[in-house]
Amino acid sequence: MDLSLFVPELILLGAIAYLLCLTLSSRQIAGSALNIFLPGLGMILMVSTFFTLGHSGVLFSDTYRIDMISQGFKLVLALSFLLVAVLSCHRISIPRDREVEYGIFLSTSLLGMMMMTSAVDILTLYVSMELSSYSLYLLSALRRDQRAPEAGVKYLLFGAAASGVFLWGMSLLVGLSGTTSLAGIAAQAPALVAQPAFSLGLAFALFAFLFKLSAFPLHFWAPDVYESAATPVTSFIATASKAAAVAIFIRIFMATGLSAGLIWVLGILAFLSMTLGNAVALVQQDVKRLLAYSSIAQAGYLLLGLLSGTLEGYSSSFFYAFAYVLMNTAAFLVVIVVAESSRHDNPQISHFNGLAERSPFLALLLLLGLLSLAGIPPLAGFTGKWILFSAAMDQGHWFLVLWAVLNSVVSLFYYLTLVKHVYLKKPETAQPILLSTGTKIAAFLLLVSLVLLGVFPNAFITFTQQAILSGAF
Amino acid sequence: MGGRHRHSDRFLLPMTPPFPILSAILLCPVVGLLLVLLTPRKYETLIKLTALASALGTLVLSVVLLFIFKPSVPGFQLIEHMEWIKSYGIHYSNAVDGLNVSMILLTAIVIFCGILVSWSVTYRVKDFFANMLFLVSGVFGVFMTTNLFFFFLFYEIAVIPMYLLIVIWGSTNKEYAAMKLTLYLLLGSALMFAGFLYMYSLPDARTFDLIALKQNVRFTPEVQNILFLGLFIGFGVLAACFPFHVWSPDGHVAAPTAASMLHAGVLMKLGAFGILRVGVYLLPEGARHWADWVAVLALCNIVYGAMVATQQKDLKYIVGYSSVSHMGIVLLGIATMTTVGFNGAIFQMFAHGIMTALFFACVGFIYDGCHTRMLDELGGLSKQAPVISAFFIIAGLCGLGLPGMGSFVAELLVTIAAIGTYPAIGIISIVALLITAFYVLTAIQKAFYGPANPHHADFKDLDWFQFIPRAFLVACLIFFGIFPDIFINWVSLSTKTLLGIG
Repeated sequence: MDLSLFVPELILLGAIAYLLCLTLSSRQIAGSALNIFLPGLGMILMVSTFFTLGHSGVLFSDTYRIDMISQGFKLVLALSFLLVAVLSCHRISIPRDREVEYGIFLSTSLLGMMMMTSAVDILTLYVSMELSSYSLYLLSALRRDQRAPEAGVKYLLFGAAASGVFLWGMSLLVGLSGTTSLAGIAAQAPALVAQPAFSLGLAFALFAFLFKLSAFPLHFWAPDVYESAATPVTSFIATASKAAAVAIFIRIFMATGLSAGLIWVLGILAFLSMTLGNAVALVQQDVKRLLAYSSIAQAGYLLLGLLSGTLEGYSSSFFYAFAYVLMNTAAFLVVIVVAESSRHDNPQISHFNGLAERSPFLALLLLLGLLSLAGIPPLAGFTGKWILFSAAMDQGHWFLVLWAVLNSVVSLFYYLTLVKHVYLKKPETAQPILLSTGTKIAAFLLLVSLVLLGVFPNAFITFTQQAILSGAF
Repeated sequence: MGGRHRHSDRFLLPMTPPFPILSAILLCPVVGLLLVLLTPRKYETLIKLTALASALGTLVLSVVLLFIFKPSVPGFQLIEHMEWIKSYGIHYSNAVDGLNVSMILLTAIVIFCGILVSWSVTYRVKDFFANMLFLVSGVFGVFMTTNLFFFFLFYEIAVIPMYLLIVIWGSTNKEYAAMKLTLYLLLGSALMFAGFLYMYSLPDARTFDLIALKQNVRFTPEVQNILFLGLFIGFGVLAACFPFHVWSPDGHVAAPTAASMLHAGVLMKLGAFGILRVGVYLLPEGARHWADWVAVLALCNIVYGAMVATQQKDLKYIVGYSSVSHMGIVLLGIATMTTVGFNGAIFQMFAHGIMTALFFACVGFIYDGCHTRMLDELGGLSKQAPVISAFFIIAGLCGLGLPGMGSFVAELLVTIAAIGTYPAIGIISIVALLITAFYVLTAIQKAFYGPANPHHADFKDLDWFQFIPRAFLVACLIFFGIFPDIFINWVSLSTKTLLGIG
């Protein structure tokens, strides 16, 4: 057992221990220490994960697998954590005396997600999923005003139900195959896949992942939680959690394979997710709710790649997950800054009026982020959608692809509505928005990477394909 | 088969020209865009000069391209080829043939004049020129690429800046018009997208390269029929084909002058170009199958556009509906599926592009000076502003097909081809030209003759600087009207190849 492969997680564990000690110190010192500590942690995690990128191995009695899928997704997760950590200096609705806890739960949930990407045993998978979920339940309840308990409780109830169904489904899989290891299930899958109980178990197990991905029919929590959680927390849920869900989808599907019936079910869910997310987003006024419905629609697009069940399908889902982290964080960065400047952690569309005059740079970032979400070239979201839909089309899902591209047009309507407010309406105050250095750097890097990943995607596409090949059971 | 064989040789051994002139044309606006973005907001003149320099660069290079281009060589030439996304068969590859060489020239002419005409823009100068350059990069890209991925990418790049140009700098119900235009065009592009991906998924395809698709994939008749229908609707939206034209008059009216010029002059041609480049090139059987329907729709365009134009009071709406009518001539030329018809269609794309750019350049100037475009509120302008009036009248005469102007030859060719293939439609389209003459002459008479409106007493004529772009457009119109054989020489071999008789 080569523990050097586990270094990123060990660093994270150490940091969590340090943060626990920090709760003992004075709140004020701790709060300001956090602003430096969390981004620093994010950077160290990225670097350490980067160094494990080429390596592979199996740890802890074959329950924990290090390969390019896991390390690639861990890098994406660490990046997402870093961005949220940088943006956390704009937290306005986290209670002052709970700031260290905010740091702790953010880190534990990241630890859970990182472990999810490596889990190749049902036990490790369940433990890491619950670790990340419970941390997120607590995080979404960390808010100063009255909204807090609602979000936390809703999230918890839906999450607990989904995880119960997950366990039930997994018990069927384990019962049929007689092993808890995914590799063991993978070895027997070709013989079992024809059995209805196997498909049923798999479908139930998917509940938990669909919940994390906020896809239909487990999307109900998303709008309320997005709206009620503090905005940096929403941003973390909307990006990192989605990427981890994609990783686990890929892992499970690669182990079990997809039966025709399951592809049908997933296709219907993708169809409904896209339709419902985009239709409801059209009438939203609260920008966080709008992004929540948009993320339901995006979950539908992602399912299209996942249900293709091919190398191209999985690798393009990986690509899109990364692009999604970038573009969604870009959108949330602007939401967070606008929320801070308007002293209102639930910015409405009207709060974005005249943003282009108050900060042309932020307006441009929001424009590119939203256009990328809508799949407009030459941005990352466009290239991601192109390869995602190519993969689905290749498997003959022409109707879903046609529906998805039509949906992208619908989504453009509400994205452009927001853009219109940014560029066209007069601002209520002419006061320019000033950005802190960290946010400015993050915003600039997001802007550049959205364009670069869109225009020069070849290297990353090749990487994702190698990663999927390396993850075969 | 001979032509096909030469094709394949060239595809296997892409001739990389000593100087990648097509990429250079594409890079001119891109570099201009980056420089404009890097220039601080307050140096407005510097921004304008940068934009002008990059537009001039494209113009010079596209004229050079005409001299390098060999009309006698069949198939694509000056091929530039670079791997982009290997595993999906996506290459960055550009090439010219008779279809696009004139379109590249048209784009360069219109953007050059468009930048000059926009010299009077004062609101958010930097953003305006950045959007213009971004838009025109997309247009150049669509015209020169031979890969469907880049075709789509550049196509959408050309659409999105249009939204911002209309919404920020536009007039007359601009928010409605901009959203309508964008959603319509993207709906069309969604169909294209699905169609392209479907081609990719066909047996033996796994590539987005046009030439490779043509060589490797056998499109069965059913597939051709379905795909051509989808692509035709997708491209037809942009080409303002009836009944998908409804975005275009509103969009033209709401857009600022230079954006209208580019939009009616060049962007609408992207749709017709796409039908030829992708639709007819890859799916000739499908094109033949639907040709009758296309001809009927084209006739609707011609007649309906002209009829509606007669009822308009706003000069810009008249020009907008005349564009719908004239694009019908392009579509009719395509529907004939003959060399003469194709030549006429491409010539009409070129001539109409320049003519309509001139129209909008004139209307924009009149609107800036008089603050109205309503025919009833104008009148007698030819006395106080003879030069701009003359320009508008030249554009109008070109629009009604006066011999000696570019449009005349184009319309003649299309009509000859149409009478050969669809006699009834051809004859009705000739009658429709009378309607065109009626509304153009009525508009000219109301706006430029008759009693002068005292409100516009201080309306000043063009200064020498504003004279240049409009005079340049007129010169192009007359030049190709007098020497149409130069133009026909560029295109005729390629249209023959396209029809498989080369």
